[in-house]
Amino acid sequence: MKAFVMDLSICNGCYCCQIACKDEHCANDWTPYAKPQPDYGQFWLKIKETVRGTVPKVKVSYIPTLCSHCDDAKCMTVCKPNAIYRREDGMVVIDPAKCTGCKLCPDACPSESIYFNEGLNIAQKCTGCAHLLDDGWDVPRCVDACPTEALRFGEESELKELIAKAEPANSGCGAGRLFYLNLPKKFVAGTIYDPVEKEVVIGATCTLKDKNGESHAVETDNFGDFWFNGLPDGHEYSLSIQKGKTAKTIQEISTADDVNLGDIAMRLT
Amino acid sequence: MVQLGNRMRLGPIPNSSRAKDVTNGPKNYIKRRRALIETKGDKTVLRSLSLGGLYGGTAQGMVDVKDGKILRVRPMRFDWKYDRSEVRTWKMEKNGKTLEPRWKSLIGPFSLGYKKRVYSPNRIKYPLIRVDWDPNGERNPQNRGKSKFRRASWDEVTTIIASEIRRIHAQYGVNAILQQGEGHGESKVINTPHGQPGLLLKAMGGFTQQIRNPDSWEGWYWGSKHVWGQGIQGMMFPAGNTVKDCTDHSDMMLFWSCDPETTPWGFTGQFPSRLSFWWKEIGMKQIYICPEVNYGAAVHADKWIPILPNTDAALQLAIAYIWIKEGSYKKDYVATHVVGFDKFSDYVLGKDDGVAKTPEWAAKKCGVPEWTIKAFAREFARKTTSIAHYFGGGMIRGPYSSEPARLECCLLGMQGLGGPGVHQLQITYFGMPRMEGLRSTMFWNPKLSERLAIPIASTIYGWQKSMLSKLQVTTHLKTDEPLEFYGTGAIEAPVSDQFVRYQFPLPEEEQGARIRMIWSDTPCRTTCWNHGHEAQEAYGSAQLETIVIQHPWFENECMLADIVLPANTFMEVDDMLTNIRQSGMLADVMIADKAIEPVGESMSDFEIVVEVAKKLGDGLVEKVTGGFTTETIRKNIFDSMELESLISWEKFREKGYYLYGVAKDWESDPPGFRKFFEDPEKFPLPTPSGKLEFYSEALAKAFPNDLERPPIPKWVESGITHVDERLGGERAKTYSLLLQSNHPRWRTHAQADDITWTREAPTCKVVGEDGYAYEPVWLHPSEAAKRGIVNGEVVKVYNEKGIVLCGAYVTERMRPNVAYVDHGARVDPIILGKVDRGGAINLISPIGSTSKNCLGMASSGYLCEVAKVTPEEWDQWKRENPAAFEREYDKGAGLRFDAWVVKDGGAK
Repeated sequence: MKAFVMDLSICNGCYCCQIACKDEHCANDWTPYAKPQPDYGQFWLKIKETVRGTVPKVKVSYIPTLCSHCDDAKCMTVCKPNAIYRREDGMVVIDPAKCTGCKLCPDACPSESIYFNEGLNIAQKCTGCAHLLDDGWDVPRCVDACPTEALRFGEESELKELIAKAEPANSGCGAGRLFYLNLPKKFVAGTIYDPVEKEVVIGATCTLKDKNGESHAVETDNFGDFWFNGLPDGHEYSLSIQKGKTAKTIQEISTADDVNLGDIAMRLT
Repeated sequence: MVQLGNRMRLGPIPNSSRAKDVTNGPKNYIKRRRALIETKGDKTVLRSLSLGGLYGGTAQGMVDVKDGKILRVRPMRFDWKYDRSEVRTWKMEKNGKTLEPRWKSLIGPFSLGYKKRVYSPNRIKYPLIRVDWDPNGERNPQNRGKSKFRRASWDEVTTIIASEIRRIHAQYGVNAILQQGEGHGESKVINTPHGQPGLLLKAMGGFTQQIRNPDSWEGWYWGSKHVWGQGIQGMMFPAGNTVKDCTDHSDMMLFWSCDPETTPWGFTGQFPSRLSFWWKEIGMKQIYICPEVNYGAAVHADKWIPILPNTDAALQLAIAYIWIKEGSYKKDYVATHVVGFDKFSDYVLGKDDGVAKTPEWAAKKCGVPEWTIKAFAREFARKTTSIAHYFGGGMIRGPYSSEPARLECCLLGMQGLGGPGVHQLQITYFGMPRMEGLRSTMFWNPKLSERLAIPIASTIYGWQKSMLSKLQVTTHLKTDEPLEFYGTGAIEAPVSDQFVRYQFPLPEEEQGARIRMIWSDTPCRTTCWNHGHEAQEAYGSAQLETIVIQHPWFENECMLADIVLPANTFMEVDDMLTNIRQSGMLADVMIADKAIEPVGESMSDFEIVVEVAKKLGDGLVEKVTGGFTTETIRKNIFDSMELESLISWEKFREKGYYLYGVAKDWESDPPGFRKFFEDPEKFPLPTPSGKLEFYSEALAKAFPNDLERPPIPKWVESGITHVDERLGGERAKTYSLLLQSNHPRWRTHAQADDITWTREAPTCKVVGEDGYAYEPVWLHPSEAAKRGIVNGEVVKVYNEKGIVLCGAYVTERMRPNVAYVDHGARVDPIILGKVDRGGAINLISPIGSTSKNCLGMASSGYLCEVAKVTPEEWDQWKRENPAAFEREYDKGAGLRFDAWVVKDGGAK
């Protein structure tokens, strides 16, 4: 069975995967696998882009999202004419010939991966480029187009090591064929400076603690910056900063969002 | 597997998962039991999908064709016809990590989506003549940009053009015809999209050449050349082998107004992205200095320093101040490699003007906190540092950009430029490993036939007697006085050209003439270049009797033409590409066979000129074609590249492409300015003194009263050319934001604005409530809130030059005090010369050049304001300009060709 593994730490947000999918499936008829998707408006693969933090501590995360080709797909369960089938390689395909246009599957899919084509009166979604795989291509178009190899596709057995360290996509149907490495977590960052000397404070020890004993410590770098990366969502922390005899504490830092504490003034004594 | 921090990294790709191209038959074909349909198409052809024009770019691709239609566009598999063992490739290693070429090209998204450009609803399908333009009667120039077009036959238009050329030559002289034949475009050699009319006009005795200013390189061209010599358009050159040297020795890379995730897409592809990720793996720090979190900063920056547009000179001077005060620069190097340091130092310390260029002084100018400036200066001195650009972005395309460009040379000079890890990088565009046997079809290859060299010459050289910079055409049309200028601005002009006085028109005795006819293949002046609104109005001048434009798409100035001719794309002609621009990982020469038949009645730019030549007789067809056929000219290219020593012509024809191997000894190529670094007396720079000139004697002598480009580089607050373009001045009370404009993310300049699928990216277009896809303007949430603007709202970006409508993209990626709009969106006038809906921001950019004696353009770092559009304004525009709101509009691709053509073609 095939699987997609996506390493988000090397996704550069180029949208080539999203575009390559369009290039393959707009105005190209791959009956019996798939009929053309409309010129615009469907996103069998869609980049979810998130801007995190505030000036000047800002990052952008990109997550290519697509159908997980779920092992226990809700779309297959609700499909009245049994038009949705799973192949040997694990790809789940909506048969355009059997689909009667009842529109139940787009609503049933918890990850919104199914689109309805009003013009053709059929539901449509990612086929894993099954038409290509059967004709000797090794990977779907999205994977082929990825310049950094953030997108990978292959036999589960060969990708075993990566899958073991990855998180399955949150499809809403349980297990599937899509896995993510390095899903973005939250950060807390800032800069320490001395407001009288007008200098950054280098080598200050910054300790981020929550109520339950979770603790992280970093030192400010040569820009006076500190970054706590990879923090869990929605935790509450306090930050203690210490340089020599000077100390400062900031309370109630919540990682509901990424946090930029800004330029923090600390007059060194 | 390698653990890096708290991230996991992928290991090498297992062989059977490695994507293989299987479309060329048995060799790589993996038989499946269940192949239900054939997917490969009828044929596969090769292309360079780069849009830099000229002879090729890399960004190589493969195009599958079925039933005469493009089936798909995909990355090129370099091992399609070659065994990997046949080609020696390069490898770089550091800290246990390896970087080597992939066997697949890394093309960008608008390359992948290029099918939509070829089949765009904006393609010009047949020749057009403006309905109220009659060469034998009334020409109605005042209606340009307002009246529509009727369909005409090729016979009719070529007859008219031939007749007009004859008439104008007889009445005014050959120099009354201006060829706008330069710029970026699709990569083709035989049918290169620009400059073909020059072949004909040259054979007829000459023409006025529109000089293409090096718009991506302005500050380097007009500034840096005076510090370190000619360079390549002013950027550091020689620049060989700098990527490896930085890999080996640089601790820190400053991406200063550089976006390696964006600008390379149109020229070579995404290799710089791979390189940036790899540099992070090996521990190189990457600092981004730019007003916005550009697309490179978004994923690579270890630190973002948000600087106000066009204030880099202040930051640079403050860095120099810290270094001088703290003695943290390479004093020995400066003593032996630099002239004029003392004068420069005096200025920095405030000894001559009483203003010390301290971090405190600079912070107020550039918006970077004083403590960050100090920390940055020290880190720059402490760590072996290089500076990366991909051209130069907003930093060198604003008012007075010669100064920050020169200051960069000075900062690098103060840290031992040319030493290990200390370079200016035109990142991967130069500096990649040298390829074996690679000759050049770059402009200076003397072996190229005239047939190929002349069209390109118009982009590169000032080669006609009568010359006028692109930036001056508007002024010429608006004034009777001859224009006087220093330096043509031609891309390959030597530094000395900047001291030569030119005039336009030439004196009468030198056959000077005012412009009466424009023949253009580059209709993007109003969106790619500055003062677009004034240019639109100038085109309505009665002095211009005839405007002919040839182009594949009905874009931008096409609406201002009298005759429009349909050119075709690189998918529709046979050609050959020399993909030798670096950063493609592998260089090649490829045969590019036609993919599809021409759309509509289109012809290639070259074929169009031949059609006109046919009407003129006089043996001009022979002069234009040079007697070449496609096949013989392919052989000419092959010969001029000296490929015979590497592969036979027959073998090359059979394979369809030649892949260069890397030179065996590339690693020992001296990197960048290494020779000058090691022995400045034996290997002087091409400057008058042979050294880095922090003080330019030549500038002091030639322009003693020039306060805008003085003998030493300075902070120029204001001057006669740009009187008031800074925050804190008078105008800033009305126009309170600085406009930042970059090389666009989703286009290459004006190209590819109509690709349906890129337009669906959130930073490409913002769809308004009216269903129109607007060009985004980035605003910080605080600036939006001040103006009552919400994300997604249609707003006006404006100054005295007019209004450009945009869609608000409210984001923390933008620092306060700035509005950012990429240049190059297609013009869509509501009121010509005043109000634009298409988002072509250059319509409101200044007409003043870089500075008085620097004939470059300033298209970033000027004042504007952004505000909500009131319902009353909308109503008034709709009431008074109904035609603008009735134009056919394609929901996927935007503007449509037929919006400008009278119904049913309007045949005469």
